[in-house]
Amino acid sequence: MAAQRQASSASQTPHISPAELSYLYTSLALPGSPIRPDGRSATQFRPLTAETDILPGTNGSARVGFADGTQAIVGVKAEVEKTVVSADALKLPQQTQEEYVGNNDGEANQGSSSGHGSWVQMSIEIPGFRDDDALPVFLSEMMREPLVESVSSEGSGNGEMTGGLKGRLVINKRWHWRLYIDVLLLSQPQSYPLPLLSLTTHLALLSTKLPKLKSKGEEDPFFDDDWDAAEYLYPRSTSTASATPSQQVRPPVTLLVVSVGENIIFDPDREEIAVADTVLAVSITRDSDSDNLKLVSIRTIDPPSRLTQPGVPNSENVTTLGSTAAAEEAAILNPSTGEEEVPGVWRPRRGGVKRSTVARIVKLVLEKGGVGEEVLEGLEGVQVG
Amino acid sequence: MPLDTSTTYPLTKLRLDGRRWNELRLLQAQISTNPASSGSSYLAMGNTTIMCSVHGPAEGRRGDATGGAAGSSGAVVEVDVNVAGFAGVDRKRRAGGSDKQSSRIATTLRAAFQSHLHTYLYPHSTISIHVSVLSADGSLLAAAINACTLALVDAGIPMPGLLCGCTAGMSGSASTPRDPRNDELDPLLDLSLPEEQELPFLTVGTTTSVPVGENAMDDDEEDMKVSMLNMDSKVHCTYVETMLAVGIDGCNQIREILEGVIKGSNKLR
Repeated sequence: MAAQRQASSASQTPHISPAELSYLYTSLALPGSPIRPDGRSATQFRPLTAETDILPGTNGSARVGFADGTQAIVGVKAEVEKTVVSADALKLPQQTQEEYVGNNDGEANQGSSSGHGSWVQMSIEIPGFRDDDALPVFLSEMMREPLVESVSSEGSGNGEMTGGLKGRLVINKRWHWRLYIDVLLLSQPQSYPLPLLSLTTHLALLSTKLPKLKSKGEEDPFFDDDWDAAEYLYPRSTSTASATPSQQVRPPVTLLVVSVGENIIFDPDREEIAVADTVLAVSITRDSDSDNLKLVSIRTIDPPSRLTQPGVPNSENVTTLGSTAAAEEAAILNPSTGEEEVPGVWRPRRGGVKRSTVARIVKLVLEKGGVGEEVLEGLEGVQVG
Repeated sequence: MPLDTSTTYPLTKLRLDGRRWNELRLLQAQISTNPASSGSSYLAMGNTTIMCSVHGPAEGRRGDATGGAAGSSGAVVEVDVNVAGFAGVDRKRRAGGSDKQSSRIATTLRAAFQSHLHTYLYPHSTISIHVSVLSADGSLLAAAINACTLALVDAGIPMPGLLCGCTAGMSGSASTPRDPRNDELDPLLDLSLPEEQELPFLTVGTTTSVPVGENAMDDDEEDMKVSMLNMDSKVHCTYVETMLAVGIDGCNQIREILEGVIKGSNKLR
C-alpha cells in the first residue's frame, strides 16, 4: 500500500528528517530570493544533454539526459490507417468535435482539416512499473492531452498546421496517420519524471518526419520512397517562409513548477519537491500567429510533502518538557498557509495554492524573455536532422 | 520472396546484407552510458541496438516474492527485458505487461548470469539488470548477453571471464542428414532478422575458464567454455557440431571486441 501511495504521488519521497525538511523549507521560502540546495536561482534549470535522430528505425527519436543521471529515449512511429467514418459523422462533422470543448476552431474542422485525438497514442515505460500502473498511465495522458489539444488559432499564415497536430495527421477523407509515441525511461526516476519525458517527447516530435505524399486528393495514399524527401511533422522554417522559427507551431512542453511559501521555483529537484507547498505541471506551446506563448494547461500534482513526518516542537516533547528552551518558542502564523507554526519545526504541508501565486507562475512562464521562451529556444537549438 | 538467403546464397555465396558466411555485423559498444545506475552499456550489433543498466548489488526489496530466505548464499540476479514498441519494423502493440519473447530472453539471461557471476560474494543482495531493446534486427539474445556483460563489468561485479554470445545458423533448412561428399550448406555467423526468420539457428554463449594451477602460466591457448546454449528451431543433429564450432568462433571474435571496449574506456571514478 505504501509503495502504491508513493507511486501516485509526485515522487518517491526521499528519506529526509523533519529537521532537514524544515531547514530546506525555510531557505527555499526566504522572501525575495530563495536559497536552493544546489545554488541555482529560482528560474535556473539544471544542465541537460540531448540528441535527436538516434534510432534509424523510427520516424523520429530523441534522447535526453538530465543532470541527476536519469535518461529517457522517445521513439515516434507513424502508420497509415483507414479513417473509420460513419454516415452520421459525414453529415455532422461538428458533432464529433463537440467533446473537445475549448477548441475555437469548430468551423475550420470540416473536411480534410479535422482529426481525432485518438490518432496519437502514447505509452510510457518506467522500470519497476507495469504498463497499467497509475504513474505511467497518468503521465502519458498528461502529456498526450496538451499535444492533441493544442491547436493553432485560425487565420494563421501557416496552412499546413491548421487544426494542430490532429489536422496534420489527416491524409485525406479516408486515410490518416496514426502516431505512436513510445517513451522509455532508462532508469528508476530520481524525481518526478514529467519534465524529462516532456522535453524528450518534444524533441522527438520535432525530429519526426513523414514520407512525402505523392498521390493527390482522395486517392489511396502513395508515398515517395525517398527518405530524403520526407517532410517534417512539425514544419521547419524554410527560406521562402517569412516566419522565423520561433513563430511556427511547436509541440507543447510541460514544465514542473513548485511554490514554497511565496516563492516560485522552476525545475525542482527531488528534495525541493519534497518540501513544496504545491507542485504544478504547466504546459505551454508556441502560438503560431503571434510571437507569444500560449498556456495549454495547468495541472496540480499531489505534493509528497503531505506524506512527510511532522517534527515535534520542544513544548510538546516529553524529553524537553519544562526546559528553558521551550519557553523561547512562540507559535507564529505562517503567512502563506495561515496555520500556526513553531519556527524550525516541520509540519506536513496541506497543499493548496493562492490564486495570486498561480497568476505569478503563469506570468513568469509566458512573459517575453521568460522561462518558457528560454526553454523553447534551448530546445530549438538542439540540432535536428 | 525472391530475395531470401536460402535461394540466393548458393549462387552468390553472399548473404542478404552482403556478408560472407563467417563475418560478424558491425559491433559497436560503449560502457558507462547512464550515470544513474551502478553500471550501464550500449551495444549495437548491426541494426540491433540494446541499452543495459545494472543496479546493485543492493539490498533486495522487502516483501519480495522470493522472501527473506532467498539469497542467503549469494546475490540474486533479476533481469527485466523490455522490447520498445518502436524496435521492430512495425510498431508492436502489447496487451499490457510483457510479451513472450522478452520474458524468454529475461529467463535465459537470468539463468546464464546467476551461475556465471561470483554471486557468493554478495549474500542477501540483489543485482538487477534492466535491458531495453531499442531496435531489433536479429540475434537479440546474443546482443543482450553481450550488453549485460559490459554493464556488469562496468558495475564492477566479479565474474570469471567475459560471457559473450553469438548466433550461428545454416544456409538452408538442414532437415536431412548431412552428406559429407556433397556438402552444399554453409554455416552462417551472426544472423540478422530476415535470416533468423527462415533459417535454423542457435545462440551460444561462451566464457573463458579461470586459469588455475599449471594452466595459469600458458597464455597462448585460451580455454573456452560453453556456458549457455539456446536453440528454438529444428535442425538435423549432424549439423549441430558445425554450427556450434562457428558460433564459438564468433564468440571469440566478439570477446576481443568487448575487451577492446572495456580497455578503451578510461573512465574516472
